[in-house]
Amino acid sequence: MMTNHDLDDVLRDVLRHEVAQELPRLSALEERVVEELGERVPHRGFVGHLRQMLAPTRGGRISQLAIVGATAAAFLVLGFFLSDRSLPLVDPSISSSGLATTSNQDVLFVVPAPDADSVAVVGDFSNWEAVPLTDDNEDGIWTASIPLTPGRYEYAFLIDGLWRGQDLLADEHVENYGQFTSVRYVSGGDGA
Amino acid sequence: MYLRIRGLFLDDRTSGPVGSSSIEVTDVEHETTSGKACILDTEEATNRVYRLQDEVTLLRASLDGETAAWGEVVTRYKDAVFGLCLGFLRNRADAEDIAQDAFVRAYLNLRRYNLEKKFSTWLFTIAANLCRNRLRYRRNHPVVEPPDSMPGGGDPAAAIAREDRRAKVKAALSRLPYSYRAPLILRFYNDLSYRDIGDILGIPEGTVKTRIHRGKAMLKDLMEQGSDA
Repeated sequence: MMTNHDLDDVLRDVLRHEVAQELPRLSALEERVVEELGERVPHRGFVGHLRQMLAPTRGGRISQLAIVGATAAAFLVLGFFLSDRSLPLVDPSISSSGLATTSNQDVLFVVPAPDADSVAVVGDFSNWEAVPLTDDNEDGIWTASIPLTPGRYEYAFLIDGLWRGQDLLADEHVENYGQFTSVRYVSGGDGA
Repeated sequence: MYLRIRGLFLDDRTSGPVGSSSIEVTDVEHETTSGKACILDTEEATNRVYRLQDEVTLLRASLDGETAAWGEVVTRYKDAVFGLCLGFLRNRADAEDIAQDAFVRAYLNLRRYNLEKKFSTWLFTIAANLCRNRLRYRRNHPVVEPPDSMPGGGDPAAAIAREDRRAKVKAALSRLPYSYRAPLILRFYNDLSYRDIGDILGIPEGTVKTRIHRGKAMLKDLMEQGSDA
């Protein structure tokens, strides 16, 4: 019968051994990381975005945009049917770039989800822990304001626990392992 | 002439074979005064300098956009991060992907890392969360991992018996629920304290202790079931 102490040693042995067997896989990890960083360091500005959209290795960007556009149109129509109030999409606090910031870098996350019981945002800024959005006036528009320092942030919404990675207000969308996440760039300036 | 430096934590906040492997480096100054320096190109020379830097210097250089400095950070932590991912995911190809992704995301988010805190815990938290995302994805898109290659026929019986036991432990680990497996990996591969494990997984220290205790009991049961089958 194996004692607890034996099991500790066995576990250590097994885990180290299985990693040691795979070390050849890691031999060029540094180069791969640095290479990927070269590709992923933010391309800001119109030309950068255009180049990214048209790059052949990033195929599907155009179709992603089409999906985002169609979803946006659907929500607009839905929004007009459900409420006679002005949509948050035309809220003056939201800048034309789609990035909603105030002077102290509070970033506004907005999701139209009239049928949802719960909406949350998960992102690298929260270590992918859920931060709840609220809909106090029950108009189906869920919001959360999260203070963020300048930088690039990846995030997605959880609507009733279901992943929704394509935020209408995102600066871009990226696909990782078959699921989308949204990206926002928070600038360090006046928040406009 | 050799200088020995600690590969990882210069402040000795963490110990153990994985977290604190030492790296032997040749003395750069010595080499530059010898004829050998002539054959070093600039990039190689830069990499050698980074190999001598302490962690905070490396992180500061990385923040300034020096990707070579980040390459050195990857070198120091890749075994620990890959081992964490392999332990969590039980799939080699996924572990390799996620380890790479963890280093890329850590770099992209480095300006939000607080230099006052332990870098390893921050890095491991990113890796652990990426693993959790991948496991969630894998629930809907399963893959079959090819079985480990068995030792060759010429191996002595003792080695075969050891391999057999390792295979049993690995099979049992794969069947253990993630919430129990993750703390076991962080404890027995990464040699972390209960507190650090709790920080990384976002659970209280007491829960970490309970899960490790129960996880080991479950693992034993699973191994016994495996040998009955």
